[in-house]
Amino acid sequence: MRILREPLAHFLVLGAALFLLFGTINRQGDREPANIVVSQAQINHLATGFARTWRRPPTAEELEGLVRDHIREEVYYREAIALGLDRDDAVIRRRLQQKLEFVSDDVASVAEPTDAELRAYLLAHGNKFRSDRRFTFSHVYLDPQRHQASIARDAADLLATVKKAGTSVDVSTVGDSFLLAHHFEEVPRSEVATLFGDKFAVTLDGLVVGEWQGPVESGYGVHLVNVSARTAPREPALDDVRDSVRREWGNAQRQQANEAFFQKLLSRYTVIVESPKLAEAQANPRAEASR
Amino acid sequence: MFARKRLSSFCALLSLSCTMPVFAADPTTTDIGTLDKDAATKAFAGKRAYSPYAGRDFPTRPFFGDTHLHTSFSMDAGAFGARLGPKEAYRFAKGEEITASSGQRVKLSRPLDFMVVTDHSDGFGFFPQLIAGDPKMLAYPQGRRWYDMINSGQGADAAIEIIVSFSQGKMAEGLLPVPGTAAYRSAWRETIKAAEEANDPGRFTAFIGFEWTSNTGGNNLHRNIIWRDNGAKASLVEPFTTQKPLGSDNPRDLWKWMAATEEKTGAELLTLAHNGNLSNGRMFPIVESFTGKRIDRTYAEARTRWEPLYEVTQIKGDGETHPFLSPNDEFANFERWDKGNLDLSELKKPEMLEFEYARSALKNGLKLEKELGVNPYKFGMVGSTDSHTGLSAVEEDNFFGKTSSSEPSAERAMHPFVKTEKAVIMAWETSASGYAAVWARENTRESIFDAMKRREVYGTTGPRMIVRLFGGFDFDAKDAATRSPAIVGYTKGVPMGGDLYDAPAGKAPTFLVAALKDPIGANLDRYQIVKGWADAKGDVHEKVYDVVWSGDRKPDPRTGNLPDVGNTVDIPNATWTNSIGATELIAVWKDPDFDRAQRAFYYGRVIEIPTPRWTAYDAKYFRIKLPSEVPMTITERAYTSPIWYTPGRS
Repeated sequence: MRILREPLAHFLVLGAALFLLFGTINRQGDREPANIVVSQAQINHLATGFARTWRRPPTAEELEGLVRDHIREEVYYREAIALGLDRDDAVIRRRLQQKLEFVSDDVASVAEPTDAELRAYLLAHGNKFRSDRRFTFSHVYLDPQRHQASIARDAADLLATVKKAGTSVDVSTVGDSFLLAHHFEEVPRSEVATLFGDKFAVTLDGLVVGEWQGPVESGYGVHLVNVSARTAPREPALDDVRDSVRREWGNAQRQQANEAFFQKLLSRYTVIVESPKLAEAQANPRAEASR
Repeated sequence: MFARKRLSSFCALLSLSCTMPVFAADPTTTDIGTLDKDAATKAFAGKRAYSPYAGRDFPTRPFFGDTHLHTSFSMDAGAFGARLGPKEAYRFAKGEEITASSGQRVKLSRPLDFMVVTDHSDGFGFFPQLIAGDPKMLAYPQGRRWYDMINSGQGADAAIEIIVSFSQGKMAEGLLPVPGTAAYRSAWRETIKAAEEANDPGRFTAFIGFEWTSNTGGNNLHRNIIWRDNGAKASLVEPFTTQKPLGSDNPRDLWKWMAATEEKTGAELLTLAHNGNLSNGRMFPIVESFTGKRIDRTYAEARTRWEPLYEVTQIKGDGETHPFLSPNDEFANFERWDKGNLDLSELKKPEMLEFEYARSALKNGLKLEKELGVNPYKFGMVGSTDSHTGLSAVEEDNFFGKTSSSEPSAERAMHPFVKTEKAVIMAWETSASGYAAVWARENTRESIFDAMKRREVYGTTGPRMIVRLFGGFDFDAKDAATRSPAIVGYTKGVPMGGDLYDAPAGKAPTFLVAALKDPIGANLDRYQIVKGWADAKGDVHEKVYDVVWSGDRKPDPRTGNLPDVGNTVDIPNATWTNSIGATELIAVWKDPDFDRAQRAFYYGRVIEIPTPRWTAYDAKYFRIKLPSEVPMTITERAYTSPIWYTPGRS
């Protein structure tokens, strides 16, 4: 196979390859010679980039070089795109996807909501913003270790005492010592649940307002409780929760806009997946299950 | 009346309006004259409000949180598969149910009150960029290699390579995003934005912060930095890194950067270190590893100025003390990590331990204070997670692991966590711990930060028990019988983190201690006080006292040891009962061995009854059998900040 080593053969093969390449480019490019315009703004941009790296502006000669390189880069860039060299490169593809996502993200977050929009959102998602039910209550604590088996009887005795005393009872003088407060003023239900346990909060939901009742169990032991006020969970006015509504609205808006943007782009295409099983899965996405 | 004269640090200047008792019996000298009973009666019209809490501006409940959480923005977290960013992390902390990186649904038993997302400042945003295939990063052979590894399913191996090359300083220069670059700035901006959005004064506090990960030679000198302020101030600077030339691995340079940042932006910052157990003798030095010289007054002043707290317990082991240092402490051998430094490139030697653990540091602090005039190791104690999953989830029955690859699965316990030729740390050794509890007046950045500065904090290994510690010279037994211990505590003494000076003749420090169990957790075994002191020769000592305990156990007359509380844990079913232990413990204790001329500190340690460890919950849920060396029970605990006694101040 000496022929493979002949310079002439090399020349012919290379020549044929170049001919084919030019042929491809020319077929796509049966067009007017395209313009490459290097604007003054671009020149300034090149100069600034240079200055940032070298900490000085470029000389006239260097600037010429920069422009020359830029033209070269532009030519290669356009021809590479025309040849589709970007298509099989995972890095470039993902980077471009990311860039477009950033753009749609930015567009979605620019808009400021109107009051009407916020109000509508608040109405539709009331449970997200509903203020907690609040309790005002006093309690007397009985420590299970101190009372042991007699705790039920002791609680009943104590209940009779505080009931008789009514509102004049000084809760700081009866029952056992307790590290948290004995009186709570307008505490949200979630905080009652955090401090005493869920069960206690549930019981408080159902107590009659304005009288001593018990025993009520908590994570600590047994309590006698007097709920003096209990507000219903309140539908908040927009002004009370404007910031959180705006935040949640913005979040939802962004997700929606991004999805709509993608769907609009997708609608420009007919998607064919050459695997019957996967094609079906694509057509009927398992909407919420995977999220 | 010395104790009352020097109330707690935050009340000292405001003593009149703040906590001066209406029923003051003895004349008390203040800056504006002597207040005696008559004057006080007149001033307060002799009648307290019906509500015992009205007009008393002190914290009535602790806020629970995490000062140390990583998200996908930390390069190692990202490498181990974390996909949750700061936004999701805050949503989870606030109690929302979310999907973890491993695809499992997860929710906290109850929301946290505050949190700081502290991603590593070195390589901030490295991972989101690498995953996105940023061409600038792929231009580096290392970057290209890791990118390819991750895309071919070898993410965990890539993670280890990344961490090792970072900690050994073998990362290509320029590969990590550094302050000043667009990538870095955008990651920092995202972090700030997430905190600003999640911050909800009164309900949930989201602090702005980061971790400075000084790790030269694999020796852990890590610290978290927390802002008191909002994003407007935090965004004026970019985090301090350890990579030269912009950063430094020397804490002295971090403190300088903090000082400069406060000066330049008007912000207020604090920092807290963690995992001295992985520093191989460098966390609490007497001789600085950077210079080989004894620490000086400048070091001591800066450390005590910037580091009011220490993270004493977390997933990578407990840092209170070590059995080698505290041979007489029966609870010292707890969730111990003492094989080597962070990357196990160097094994542990016993002489390193003294400079790694909180208790010995507090002791050496007393010694150094005598020598330098300033105590460099005067810190309060908190727990935190250091989880790298974006999930602050460290309850034993809800433990989501150290990294996303160790989120619940049948195999996770038996994976090696770190493995070198020298040693191996298994994943079952990771500890489901801990949280920070802060006695703040309200749930805001300012109030919680200020409480941290005055060290009115304690750490727990996961449960949310309520713990009080007050010190003074005048507490007596009947103060423990009051129904509102906090009132008498603040009135007659100083809270945890405070100071006592110059004992009056014939008096010893007295302490009002109290603890209340976690409302959904286990009962309490005992409340102990740990005392450390420096004697006349300058030698330091420690002793653990059982102060109050459940049931009618009697200490052994010969050894003084209290019998075990017992154990109700059913390991196969991962359950226990509260049939032993106490709901609430409260007592007054007086130091029986006090010498008024000797410096000392006292901190509280509250021990829970034994409960199932996370490994027991794993074994039950996944129906697996774990080897016998894997512990299946745990005695959870809380550590309070100390109260210090200093003679010769007036």
